[in-house]
Amino acid sequence: MPDRGVAAARVPYARLLAVQLRTSLLTAMQYRLNFVVEGLMSLYWLGWNLLPLLVLFDTRDSVAGWDYPSALVVIGWFVVLRGILEGAINPSLTDVVERLRTGSFDYVLLKPADAQFLVSTSRFVPWRIVDVCGGIGLIVWAFAMRGAAPAPGDVAAALGLLAAAIMVMYALWILIVCAAFWVVRLDNLAFLLSAVFDAARWPVHVFRGAWRIVFTFVIPLALMTTYPAMALLGTLDGATAAGAVGGALALLGLSRLAWRAALGNYTSASS
Amino acid sequence: MIVVDELRKHFQVHRRPPGLAAAVRSLLRRRYETVKAVDGVSFQIERGERVGFLGPNGAGKTTTLKVLSGLLHPSSGKVTVNGHVPQRREPAFLRGITLVMGQKQQLMWDLPPAETFALNRAIFDVPRARFDATLRELDELLGIGPLATKPTRQLSLGERMKCELTAALLHQPATLFLDEPTIGLDVAMQLSMREFIRAYNQRHEATVLLTSHYMDDVVALCPRVIVIDGGRIIHDGDLKALVKATHPDKLVSFRPTAPVDGDDLARLGRVVRHDAARVVVEVPEDRLREVISHLLATLSVADLGVEDPPLEDVMRKLFKHGAAAPAPDGPAAP
Repeated sequence: MPDRGVAAARVPYARLLAVQLRTSLLTAMQYRLNFVVEGLMSLYWLGWNLLPLLVLFDTRDSVAGWDYPSALVVIGWFVVLRGILEGAINPSLTDVVERLRTGSFDYVLLKPADAQFLVSTSRFVPWRIVDVCGGIGLIVWAFAMRGAAPAPGDVAAALGLLAAAIMVMYALWILIVCAAFWVVRLDNLAFLLSAVFDAARWPVHVFRGAWRIVFTFVIPLALMTTYPAMALLGTLDGATAAGAVGGALALLGLSRLAWRAALGNYTSASS
Repeated sequence: MIVVDELRKHFQVHRRPPGLAAAVRSLLRRRYETVKAVDGVSFQIERGERVGFLGPNGAGKTTTLKVLSGLLHPSSGKVTVNGHVPQRREPAFLRGITLVMGQKQQLMWDLPPAETFALNRAIFDVPRARFDATLRELDELLGIGPLATKPTRQLSLGERMKCELTAALLHQPATLFLDEPTIGLDVAMQLSMREFIRAYNQRHEATVLLTSHYMDDVVALCPRVIVIDGGRIIHDGDLKALVKATHPDKLVSFRPTAPVDGDDLARLGRVVRHDAARVVVEVPEDRLREVISHLLATLSVADLGVEDPPLEDVMRKLFKHGAAAPAPDGPAAP
């Protein structure tokens, strides 16, 4: 093997990500009918998401201090985030669980690149971009109803919190995947996470008592949709925003540690 | 160069008797057992060697290969491959090896193999010119041709294996760990795989460690064999010496031109086959000359030949011995 010295240690991650994205796009295009059906399904779910909100605000003007357009901003973030979750996080990490079960995870570990990076970027579902665009559309519509555009600083803060929200979702998923190294079948746990995530469509203030604490600190749904929405509406204080980003980074760090521990425990499915 | 010194890999496995009651009990209290998959294995393989790794199912072959390629962390012992400790999974180490598993696949199922090749090129950061040259070379040896652009799911098993090998060798590793690379392939495809492995070994002075259920693969490819049973090495050396030590008898085979009496044959040795078309008798090597002279003098025979016993028989005998006389604390095979 030719010795490529120091250069051998560098892995071109940006190019690798581009190749993985391209591969996902090619896979998606292998099934043309799926492309259309999934796109239509995304639109259907977008409408379905609005239904509870319409029912709720049909008889009152505000819920837990949130008026209709503000609650619509939360739903908008929820749709954006769900698009990202189901387009860029869920597919790859569901694949890892399957690879662990069948043993083809071995091939990931044989590659001279970070295994967590490889498995986290292995599959994207491109048509989920419809959800992301739909969510952004809802947010724009909500602001049109309010008759005022968000301040540029608020948009920047909201995007920062969106990044934190993605980190939180990703970290939670990685923790579930780590559990798969020991228990192998995790369909229910993954299902539970997405069911709980569904509650993120409501502003966290709708929940009371213990639920609000759980959804703020244990499964931080507040951080995922309520805080970005509040940032965009200009009602989030700086300390909460900083705390949210700090918490997200800490959770991401924790998930990395769990991943490394899980790799050490890998037993590989028998041949 | 591969150096393995007193390698042990033990697994904790949960065991329970069959039945619902046992299943419920095991929910409350689990019984774990230690399985010694590899139990004190030592060997060295020089660069460019082709070594066959033989043993019954569960002997520890695959576990050893997985430790050598960094997938499993050893319980104890020292392992280095090309100067690296595999479990650290250093990029320089992973760029120098490959592991091909006949029963697992790395090709992306829905896409043509060319896409997996492109992905591996990006991961291994192989420059375009070298990638193209390697692909041409592998194409020349394996004859992939148009297969690379057909979706993997539409390829036959043999075609897929060719593409699996290509994907595994695009970074030109100097050390090949091949775990059952010919499993499920037809005879013609097995032959071409063997030729390919030999050619790659010679062109690149690559080290090859091969496990296979097909003894012919091992006979054709590996001058040296390591036999492992119950996690321990029971033979390491020349294949011919192993055959001679384990199964010194020879097979005398001939076509009878007139009916032969079974009792006459039984006096010569153990009758392996006796029908109108062919007779095969197993004879101790020291009686070979005497038996052949007797045959030629007393019977009417055509195309007489002497062969070594099939390696399968040698292995069966070897493992029966191993099972009959285990080491004092000999482990059960997992």
